[in-house]
Amino acid sequence: MSRQKFENLGVKLPLFPTTSVGSFPKPDYLAKARAEFNKKQISEKDLHDLERKATAFWIEEQEKLGIDVLVDGEMYRGDMVAYFAERLPGFSISGLVRSYGNRYYHKPVLSGEVEWRAPLTVEWWKYAQSLTKKPVKGMLTGGYTIMDWSFNEFYPDRRTAALALAKVVRQEVEALIVAGCKIVQIDEPALSVRPEELPIAIEAMELTTQGQNAYFITHACYGEFDKIYPGMLDLAVDNFDLEMSNSDLDLLELFRRHPFTKDISFGVVDVHSHRTDSAEVVRARIEQALTILPKEGVWVDPDCGLKTRTVAEAIEKLRACVTAAKSFRNE
Amino acid sequence: MNAPGLHLSSAGSYPRIGDSPELQVLRRTIAALDKGERTTADLLEVQNEVTRHVIAEQVRAGLDLITDGLIRWYDPISHLAGKLDNIQIKGLVRFFDTNTYFRQPVFDGAPVKRGHLVAGEYSFARNALGHLPTPRGKAGKLGIKPVLTGPYTLGKFSLSENPGNGSSKTFAALEARVQAYAEILATEFEALSQAGAELIQVDEPAAIKYPNDWAIFESSLAPLVNARDKIIKSGRKLELALYVYFHDCAPLYEKLLALPVDVVGLDFTYSPKLLDTVASAGSQKALGLGLIDGRNTNLEDPAQVARQVERMLPKIKDQRAFLGPSSGLEYLPRHRAFAKLEILSKVRAQLEGRERR
Repeated sequence: MSRQKFENLGVKLPLFPTTSVGSFPKPDYLAKARAEFNKKQISEKDLHDLERKATAFWIEEQEKLGIDVLVDGEMYRGDMVAYFAERLPGFSISGLVRSYGNRYYHKPVLSGEVEWRAPLTVEWWKYAQSLTKKPVKGMLTGGYTIMDWSFNEFYPDRRTAALALAKVVRQEVEALIVAGCKIVQIDEPALSVRPEELPIAIEAMELTTQGQNAYFITHACYGEFDKIYPGMLDLAVDNFDLEMSNSDLDLLELFRRHPFTKDISFGVVDVHSHRTDSAEVVRARIEQALTILPKEGVWVDPDCGLKTRTVAEAIEKLRACVTAAKSFRNE
Repeated sequence: MNAPGLHLSSAGSYPRIGDSPELQVLRRTIAALDKGERTTADLLEVQNEVTRHVIAEQVRAGLDLITDGLIRWYDPISHLAGKLDNIQIKGLVRFFDTNTYFRQPVFDGAPVKRGHLVAGEYSFARNALGHLPTPRGKAGKLGIKPVLTGPYTLGKFSLSENPGNGSSKTFAALEARVQAYAEILATEFEALSQAGAELIQVDEPAAIKYPNDWAIFESSLAPLVNARDKIIKSGRKLELALYVYFHDCAPLYEKLLALPVDVVGLDFTYSPKLLDTVASAGSQKALGLGLIDGRNTNLEDPAQVARQVERMLPKIKDQRAFLGPSSGLEYLPRHRAFAKLEILSKVRAQLEGRERR
């Protein structure tokens, strides 16, 4: 682990710090309120109040579970790209496009020079942090993924668009740091979909994090990591948050062939099943990780965001992470 | 430029819904079906209606060769694999770099085809096209093609969970899965030909993404090619059009042209070099020119696309080519997909206008 970096930042963490990837399920009252807001049946303030209530609920739940690095749970976000695109000048929102099956969404369109004018997540981070003494992660989406998940009608090519967005994300990082945030997660789930563009993703992350005084995590999932490993280790972050259990820890084989040189947030529970693996199964996954990775660099969390699970399922999955991590600390 | 061999063609899928409430009937019906408020017969009726609209839209945009828009397809993989016995459809997996998902087939034994995969859908679409008035200048030129996802792509994106399962044949090996799909798709060729198809589009995007499997991909074409040849011998006309997309195919251009297919459809959006490659090397086969980006809302300049066509067409055998989107259009909003198709007619007008000058 970048222990020195944490010391400099004034953050104290135990061995095997526990965290989560970012999103939590919205309580029923909030899901209902969002639908009502879309139909203009409740005001923005009504919705905002319920988003704060749900955020407070999740901070309290994480505290009760004993999680070390908390998240706000993204109660105020729908989609991890659209949230930013809807608030940044330079974006417009397209007509409906299909995600899969019968699910459709309004995909963002880069239709002008993208600009950062004001913080997008800082107020939420400040609110969440005010509810706990434990560190709360700042949660952002990276420039490469925002580019890849948007239509581009303005920039001449994908690299130019990704770099422009990376600069915007950097400004949000700066605002979070000024507000007191010490740990920032910049998600890049599109990282592996075009392996030939890994240099663009690396360049974009460099633009976002270089010279910034924080501990940086990036999350990527469900991709062909064999095509971008070990090159992806050049991404300018301290910690890779990776979905490990869903792929039966296949990535460990890659790490065996070429050492993993960063800290890792090791996904130990699948987020797509209703069932939570037993404590023994979760422990076994961490044991396997420790055959290759130094314990000082291993964090423990679920594979991915938990927003598709029920509240009860999400809590159980988080509990499994915490129980397993604590059992290793005591050894 | 006089280009009688240049056909304006769809490349497969079309958006199922639009932004207005009347264009969202399919979405609403599926949601109501899930809640038990509508029946599968209701869904079929709505799918038929949307298919008719989508066919009419393509004709209105000025296309020569259209599809049914794959309106009934849940995704490019499970729509076909899900109709086979001994295959279970499981969880969602990301489809290339599209940020869309398909449901993954898992082999439980040797797949068995009970009925047609798309021949019934093709017959419906052909009939629907037949009921539309023929636009001026299109008499005898308007056609409809069926689309199949190819055996290699289907096999690559399938798994085998129970390799033994008491049967003598296992499907743990990619080659076995691919070959099983190939044999099944070959029988669909006959059904499609009987239904009137004279050109079948087979999509193999995975073939250019995983070139190390080329030998497996290439051998999977044999059952399809044999089926085509048998149909031709029986006196019917049939062409096999192989479409590849979602990856740079320039390095594989020569290998693609060497395959025993009649048309090779290319995605020009992933490679700045592909246009130069085609313009310099030419082609002894008809080509699908996917010059219109099917993944981005930005609208191409027809004059620029016309210049690109002018560079390549003289080098293509018989100057026969199918100008179209780089991939299916389901990744775009509906109104943008239509605008993309309209560009094709504008390109043709540009080409003909220059000739007149």
